[in-house]
Amino acid sequence: MARPPILSLALPSETGRVLSIQSHTVQGYVGNKAAVFPLQLLGYDVDPINSVQFSNHTGNLLYTTFSNRYPTFRGQVLNGQQLCDLIEGLAANDLLYYTHLLTGYIGSVSFLDTVLQVVDRLRMVNPGLIYVCDPVMGDEGKLYVPPDLVSVYREKVIPVASMLTPNQFEVELLTGLRLITSESDGLKACNILHAAGPSKVVITSLNIEGKLLLIGSHQKLEGQPPHQFKIIIPKIPAYFTGTGDLMTALLLGWSNKYPDNLEKASELAVSSLQALLHRTLEDYKAVGFDPQSSSLEIRLIQSQDDIRNPEVKFKAEEYT
Amino acid sequence: MKQPLVLLPRRLHLGLRTSPSYSARSSGRSAMTPPPILSLVLPSETGRVLSIQSHTVQGYVGNKSAVFPLQLLGYDVDPINSVQFSNHTGYPTFKGHVLNGQQLCDLIEGLSENHLLYYTHLLTGYIGSVSFLEMVLQVVERLRVVNPGLLYVCDPVMGDEGKLYVAPDLVSVYREKVVPVASMLTPNHFEIELLTGLRITSESDGLKACNILHAAGPSKVVITSLSIKEKVFLIGSHQKVKGQSPQQFKIVIPKIPAYFTGSGDLMTALLLGWSNITLRKHQSLQCQVYRLCCSEHWQITRPQVLIHNRAV
Repeated sequence: MARPPILSLALPSETGRVLSIQSHTVQGYVGNKAAVFPLQLLGYDVDPINSVQFSNHTGNLLYTTFSNRYPTFRGQVLNGQQLCDLIEGLAANDLLYYTHLLTGYIGSVSFLDTVLQVVDRLRMVNPGLIYVCDPVMGDEGKLYVPPDLVSVYREKVIPVASMLTPNQFEVELLTGLRLITSESDGLKACNILHAAGPSKVVITSLNIEGKLLLIGSHQKLEGQPPHQFKIIIPKIPAYFTGTGDLMTALLLGWSNKYPDNLEKASELAVSSLQALLHRTLEDYKAVGFDPQSSSLEIRLIQSQDDIRNPEVKFKAEEYT
Repeated sequence: MKQPLVLLPRRLHLGLRTSPSYSARSSGRSAMTPPPILSLVLPSETGRVLSIQSHTVQGYVGNKSAVFPLQLLGYDVDPINSVQFSNHTGYPTFKGHVLNGQQLCDLIEGLSENHLLYYTHLLTGYIGSVSFLEMVLQVVERLRVVNPGLLYVCDPVMGDEGKLYVAPDLVSVYREKVVPVASMLTPNHFEIELLTGLRITSESDGLKACNILHAAGPSKVVITSLSIKEKVFLIGSHQKVKGQSPQQFKIVIPKIPAYFTGSGDLMTALLLGWSNITLRKHQSLQCQVYRLCCSEHWQITRPQVLIHNRAV
């Protein structure tokens, strides 16, 4: 019998069909739990491959200022072979045409190598595949993946990424720029990354001279100077989990709707995220909980209107 | 003295290893009081749902079909994926892996250790083996120890149009062990016949079947599709007070000349979603299902279920 067409590909659409390879936690909003719902709200068909299934995440291990929110977790990890099996299953049913691939936290070199093979496979089917990569390695000077992943990201992943969303620490690792202490350092880092691979780079948070910034850079034509901008972000007196994963998903979502306007996409993403963080903070305070005593679970479901239709409160300033 | 905080969006650290099954205690000081679960502490007309269903990478069945609609309706949903397959089994092939009973237990243990087992609802759909179904029954008990008011919405997926598509030994487990602990049941025509032993050829047969189920367990029963004399109906039945006559109604549904996958899973999720939301506003299940059917939100372009609303 004739197999039905994949409507998300056959019908005209400003969105697309995303393969998202991230963690799944039963409870909590990180990994695919933080990325899939927002993309669905924005109209994307999302096919999640869950690289792990854990009961919960542990909160923020990076800081010993306060203890982990949840001291334990249990669950199962997908190995490279099982990832391959799923891709094989999709291939066998001619289901490997994706417009986008999205990856976030990856815990081992072997899994990352398998992901690279997936990129190749997907691009054989759709050479125009957009690979949005969040090169999750650490934050604030601290690595929280095995060190051997760094060179794999730098040497093998960057060259095949279409859009990269590192934080300050990660962009330092990827470019070798020892410490980014000024905005021009940040722009220089973006240029290095463009030369190596991605035409779109968003440094999702840069701490420079007491200010928090997002820097975005879009090299529209190979070899030409990129279009660069910043957005100043307010400092919020709390820690949250899942915001990085959410941010990358929002950037994918909006940058596809405005492919030539990374500024607008970033404004929308930042505005959504800030509204959500603000709501989360207020909700914890409303129940009398001190938001500074632990990392907080984001109010993702309750912020769906802000994701679907954000009020743009944060404007980009171009670098000329 | 509080340290000055550097305030950046945070990322997750999972501390993964590549062993197939993993439990871990992270390093750090002993746990302080974790933050409250806001979906439970703040007033809400929705709730916190544990949904144990299949996950397919591609396609909208199982959790792929149930979770997003519930999230749209404002629920926090915690999905346990009983399988992860590349695609559903309507395709010529599929690949993937299945969660076994022990792994399901591990996940529940993990939640329990972190005091994360308070749910307002449990949702289950297709279950492939007696052993897994037995585990699910243990989960029901665990959850009810933590929240005795837990609502268990059970779609007793066994077959359709006279054909069984689960192992036959599941039928008696559903009938004897699951029905008594379910709060709401959403069988189709074939499944309610299996559960009650009744052959249903008229609307009054359908109502009788609901009464049998009420006596056995659930206060809410929705027979999602009954084919009677060329017409397709939904029949709903709500026994508000044990022992009393239930409030019963039907909705006539047009026959759509097509087959869809995932619509049953979606329907059960929608019934959970609306039957909880409108609980405080409208006490009748009839009104709840009416709202469900009329809601503009559910104008889905693919599986289009247009319902003529004619409450009894």
